[in-house]
Amino acid sequence: MARLKIESLRKSFAATTAVDDFSLDVGDGELVCLLGPSGSGKSTILRMIGGFEQPTSGMIRIDGQDVTRLSPERRPTGMVFQSHALWSHMNVFNNIAFGLKLRSLSRGEIQRKVDQALELVGLAGYGHRQTFQLSGGQQQRVALARSLVLEPKILLLDEPFASLDQHLRERLREEVRDIQQRLGITTLFVTHGQDEALAMADRIVVLRNGQCEQVDAPDVLYRNPQTEFVAGFIGQMNFLSANVEGGRFRHPDFTLDVEVQDGPAVLALRPEALRLEPSDSPDAAGVTRATDFGSHIMVDVELRDGARLKVMTAPDARWQKGQTVRLAASAFALYRQNRLLARGGLPVETVEGRSRHALA
Amino acid sequence: MADTATLSAAGGSEPAIGRGLKGLLLVAIPVFLVGWLIIYPIFAAILSTLFVAGPDGVQFSTASYQFFFSDPYSRANLALTLWTTSICAVLLLLVGLPIALYLRFSTSRFADLVQSLAIFPMFVPSIILSYALIRTIGPNGTVDILLNAVGLPKLPTPYLTPWGPVIGLVWDNLPLTVLMLTAGLAGISSPSIEAARDVGAGPIRVFWYIILPRMGNSILVTISFTVLGIFSSFTLPYVLGPASPEMMGPFMLRTFNDLYDPLNAKTQAVISFVFCLFFGLFYVWSIARNQRSQSR
Ligand SMILES: Nc1ncnc2c1ncn2[C@@H]1O[C@H](COP(=O)(O)OP(=O)(O)OP(=O)(O)O)[C@@H](O)[C@H]1O
Ligand SMILES: [Mg+2]
Repeated sequence: MARLKIESLRKSFAATTAVDDFSLDVGDGELVCLLGPSGSGKSTILRMIGGFEQPTSGMIRIDGQDVTRLSPERRPTGMVFQSHALWSHMNVFNNIAFGLKLRSLSRGEIQRKVDQALELVGLAGYGHRQTFQLSGGQQQRVALARSLVLEPKILLLDEPFASLDQHLRERLREEVRDIQQRLGITTLFVTHGQDEALAMADRIVVLRNGQCEQVDAPDVLYRNPQTEFVAGFIGQMNFLSANVEGGRFRHPDFTLDVEVQDGPAVLALRPEALRLEPSDSPDAAGVTRATDFGSHIMVDVELRDGARLKVMTAPDARWQKGQTVRLAASAFALYRQNRLLARGGLPVETVEGRSRHALA
Repeated sequence: MADTATLSAAGGSEPAIGRGLKGLLLVAIPVFLVGWLIIYPIFAAILSTLFVAGPDGVQFSTASYQFFFSDPYSRANLALTLWTTSICAVLLLLVGLPIALYLRFSTSRFADLVQSLAIFPMFVPSIILSYALIRTIGPNGTVDILLNAVGLPKLPTPYLTPWGPVIGLVWDNLPLTVLMLTAGLAGISSPSIEAARDVGAGPIRVFWYIILPRMGNSILVTISFTVLGIFSSFTLPYVLGPASPEMMGPFMLRTFNDLYDPLNAKTQAVISFVFCLFFGLFYVWSIARNQRSQSR
């Protein structure tokens, strides 16, 4: 139905550059999440697509049509805001019907479409309620219905569940994903919760300081982060800094042969890519804490140089505080200046005593 | 142990009673002042216009009211006052609402300047404002001089016509109007307005369907306040207004001071008071009604 194309979008407020040279293609029926820390420009991008902010430069096209300079009411987009967006002087029915009335549809048509939209968001029969008689979750469903009833080409959602509690948020995001797939509507979803992005998105855009760090499917993003920032932002990650000298990453506890230029580098290891084994060597790493999450146990390990790592172990494993351990990694990534240098699925192990288990 | 507990409990409640008394004393003073300086004179005035000393002692009489409503000049003055008040209320809304909307939605730095300009009249005493207006729009004032300089004929000046006080009162009451309307607009969230634009409403429809219905209360408050102030205004009508008919304020003063007729002056005051009371009651009634409909 609809494709969204964003080219070199840029937005500066007086002193800050909120969005810096951002480009993105969203395919028909795709759900793309904009993910990033607070202040990274997610809302600003969404608001520019909706027409609520004017870009400093760049272009936005919907189905090939340039909408960059159109006012919000002329764009084929529908936006759901974080909160406080329902019109409190209208009941639920009129909130949803407002846009249809502006389009001078017949009464019967409006009634039919509103009922359909309420049905879609699971609020059939709520039309006569006042907005203040709804819970926070129901209010956001009404806001969603209000956008969907107009059948926009692009649906924009700016942290629509941020003010709701965890359980409700999880339920609603499944419902939204469900509705989105049923309608096949091209959707852009802003969130700063990575679990939300991983659960819903076809593709995730990771933003930082108004710039795009990486765009990929959730699994690719998690398994193959292209920058140190993405590696640290998506899921849990352990980082170890050291120098590469003569083709070897030289950390006191982890050494690793890599074919990269000499210089400082950061080794990234996922907790689930690390393995623990008991060790009786006096200068091995020590367990500082073990936290039982039910499905797994997260063990905090302190290396000899004071660096701390998190290691995910099976729920039946028992690790005592102070116990000395040996670490082995099954996968790693190496970054320099936020860029990926090397990546591997080869075992890397802690160094014990003087003997080095360096692996190429 | 038990004894200490009771003691301390008793000791704990005593200061609470003391605080209650102190609170009562604190409100007692203003309540007393209101009663003494406002409520009592009102009733005294009303009674003194109805119970008049006649040839055979004090008698109940509505003669002064009958005189007021049968005297064409008094009626003309009342009509002029009502006319001025309603014209001012309408003009204040027409001028104040666009300014308030601009202040609420503008993001430009110019808005600060507009805000201070709109608030400025609040700090100008009405007497100074009156003379400033005479010098500007009065005969041979700035406007005339400017027109003359470019070879245009003089305009008929509003000075000493009913429009003189209207111009002055609108200018004088603008700050309060703008402040109250801006406060009302602040209660309308930006997302709710953006959502309306998103579903296809242009600026005018947003104003009509989204902003105006939620401004009802603050417009009502604004109108009530300005109407009450303008109805009983004195300085501006006295200095800028026509000699005949005149507004109730100057009329009362003249009846009292120049004609030495306290009974009729008091009657005029009571009639003005009843009108203001009517506006006041209407205001309270509509606020209460709105609150009820909102909590339903
Ligand atoms: N109207 C504005 N005027 C000035 N600066 C702004 C404005 N809107 C946003 N910014 C700035 O632009 C940057 C990006 O803001 P934006 O709201 O897009 O962040 P975000 O990623 O949505 O953050 P959050 O997760 O907190 O919502 C921030 O540094 C912010 O201070
Ligand atoms: Mg935001």
